[in-house]
Amino acid sequence: MLDSYLSALGYMASNPFTFLLIIFSVVWGIAFGSIPGLTGIVGVALLIPFTFAFDPIEGLLLLGGVYVGSTFGGSISAILFNTPGSPEAACTALDGYPMARQGQAGKALGIALAASAIGGIFGTVVLMVAAPPLARLALEFGPPEYFALAVLGITAIASIGHGSVLKALMAGLLGLGVATIGIDPLTGMPRFTFGSMMLLTGVGFVPAIIGIFALAEVLQRFGEGPQKGYVIDDVSTELPTISEFIQTRVTLLRSSVIGTVIGALPGVGATTAAFISYSEASRWSKHPEKFGTGVPEGIAAPESANNAAVGGSMIPLLALGIPGSATTAVMIGGLTIHGIIPGPQLMQTNSDLVYSVFIGMMLANLLMLIVGVRMARYFALVLKAPYALVGPAIVVLCMTGVYALQNNVVDLAVMLVFGVVGFAMRRFGFPVASFIIGLVLGPIAELSLRQGLMLSDYDVTAFVTRPIAGTLLLFSAVSLIYGLAGQFLRTRRKLNGDTGPETSEEAKA
Amino acid sequence: MFPIQSMRAAMMMAAVGSVLAAMPARADDYPSRTVEAIHQFGPGGGTDRFIRAIGEPFQEITGQALVPISVQGGGGVPAAVTFMQRPSDGYSMMAVGPEQVINHVLGRMNIDELRPIARIQYDQGLFLVSKDSPIKSVDDLIKTARENPGSLKVAVTGTAGFDDTLVGLWNIKSGAELTTVPFSASEMVSNTLGGHVDLMYEEYGPARGLIESGDLRPLVLFSEFRLPVLGDVPTATELGFDVSLGRWRGFAMHASDDEANANTMFSILDRAAVSESYKTIETQSGLQFRSKVLGPTQFKEFMEHEVEIYTDVLKQLGYVE
Repeated sequence: MLDSYLSALGYMASNPFTFLLIIFSVVWGIAFGSIPGLTGIVGVALLIPFTFAFDPIEGLLLLGGVYVGSTFGGSISAILFNTPGSPEAACTALDGYPMARQGQAGKALGIALAASAIGGIFGTVVLMVAAPPLARLALEFGPPEYFALAVLGITAIASIGHGSVLKALMAGLLGLGVATIGIDPLTGMPRFTFGSMMLLTGVGFVPAIIGIFALAEVLQRFGEGPQKGYVIDDVSTELPTISEFIQTRVTLLRSSVIGTVIGALPGVGATTAAFISYSEASRWSKHPEKFGTGVPEGIAAPESANNAAVGGSMIPLLALGIPGSATTAVMIGGLTIHGIIPGPQLMQTNSDLVYSVFIGMMLANLLMLIVGVRMARYFALVLKAPYALVGPAIVVLCMTGVYALQNNVVDLAVMLVFGVVGFAMRRFGFPVASFIIGLVLGPIAELSLRQGLMLSDYDVTAFVTRPIAGTLLLFSAVSLIYGLAGQFLRTRRKLNGDTGPETSEEAKA
Repeated sequence: MFPIQSMRAAMMMAAVGSVLAAMPARADDYPSRTVEAIHQFGPGGGTDRFIRAIGEPFQEITGQALVPISVQGGGGVPAAVTFMQRPSDGYSMMAVGPEQVINHVLGRMNIDELRPIARIQYDQGLFLVSKDSPIKSVDDLIKTARENPGSLKVAVTGTAGFDDTLVGLWNIKSGAELTTVPFSASEMVSNTLGGHVDLMYEEYGPARGLIESGDLRPLVLFSEFRLPVLGDVPTATELGFDVSLGRWRGFAMHASDDEANANTMFSILDRAAVSESYKTIETQSGLQFRSKVLGPTQFKEFMEHEVEIYTDVLKQLGYVE
């Protein structure tokens, strides 16, 4: 194995152009990640024609670097403008933006950047040392396991945030319900479309979150009027200190593991990883009620998970030729054009390629720390402009972005409607986190439940008798009961006058 | 059926050639700007790559670009609507495939509003099992499925789509009834390899890596003839079941588009499809075996034939009345 690394390093050293490519791809990736509507998938797809001119190793390094950069990039706009630049950063906005509004934008960006790099490096290391066995483990995950995983994430709805459990559940159910609009994934028949061809498209995740986060935020700020501006002026990105780092080490480790494993599962990727790790971070936290108000763990968890998922999703790609995510699916297309057949033999027949990718992704993650600090600084310059200019610009950018995503006008309508929905939810104190968790994980839960039932000839026990699925479901049940009991006890304590430290920022999440 | 088709293609070509030679200025400068091809799939997907691949020789031939425009979602309906709203000036095409035939059969669009230009790709698929599967051959498959109709589950991609139609046709023709379970393309493979589902349907190109490594075992091929690279895999036709449907990709314009432009476009695409750069990509995607370019008339006949088959199968599956 060492030989392979040396040979790959030799190739790269004798070909300094590859390093230029990595730098370019990380910058390109961060830019695509941070602009709403231009996701990592688009960034990768646009570069594929250029890779024709390169040899396959250079091509794959380029695409891998974009993938790494774009996964972090989304958090810049999520933290500074409450506008997730890419779906995997939606979760980062939940705590990143509140922290930025408390005047700690630089700190929030620093946490996101450091967590991204740590998660990314963790995922890459796992990819380097354990790709084949992990790919085999991923094959153990059938529909029941996907269902259990989604349920695990969904049960956290009850434990996230600080407001009323009832409102959290209502928002979560609304998310689950909205996700069912469109074409039924198993029968192809229209559901809840009321005969409208437009609604066949359904409520896309990206248009909905852009509406709920970005548009609702602009409405909110304009509703508050100019006098009550929250000035985010401290934007000099500061990486967390060692002691802050140690405080979040458990979250970072847990989220990196979750991210890598979920990334390795075909069909689910960084977005799911971010949400489940956010759920878990709040579940295991000593103060779950503070999530959504700007806690460091709320940023570190999704960012380390979504970047770990990058390495994770390369696992089935390189070990089996199965893409672990939408972006890696596009990469497969790029590989095929170079005459490389993705499959289990790739690691033997193209070991230079595979090991160069390992090294390249490692470098990309380290580079991200340097490039990210600089790029976030340029982005933050926007904040010096008055919000009366920035707000409308955000709306325009979001509308173009949402349209560019699928070139489908329906998505614009969805974004506008959900801007109003998001505005109303904040006004009436419904937690946004619960809603989007329902929206992201609901379709996975529904689809895998129905697939699993079809496979087991509608025998429900098949879900609990399988070891992985059974364990996850049992754990969800226990934690749900524990969580509800905890909420109940907290309410009791509150009534007894022991309120503990709370901030006035609460209703904002 | 192919020799006749290719002969007709040759005659068509000759006809087009002579028409072109006789045509005055009008068609000469067409296309004089970028041509856009609207499709319903994501950027980087098979259709997107197909358009880009044909776009390269297209640019060399015409000096103009052929650009894919991806309008996703809604089962292809928004893509069709977007295309229909474009002017019939020869600069908007639609990338068509079985999805358009299915949407036509389901009443979601009307393919009579399209003017078929050229069918370029014609793929072929297989039933595949994991190497650990108790099903070792197509005989095992038929035997097990006939004993317990519907108990074997076949993983497919999409729903009420091409894969469902193909399996439906197989069920009708063979009596070896299988139940389809839709997955995403990657989960389909992982669930088959992991043994969660009995078998899967996939085209040769994407499955090639796992076939060569021995992780997936091909049982039966859906084509008129065996693949040279999989010499011992029988075709369904050989077994006496007339199931040779394949995924295909081509281009169409509006029915109201100018016929001369349509013919010019066909001759350009026909040349592009034999260019070296396109042929390389075709081979690398495992699409070289039965992809034959069909011209406007034959393509129209082909699509009409497809509509008949799909209507039949989708009726029996209960998707249309």
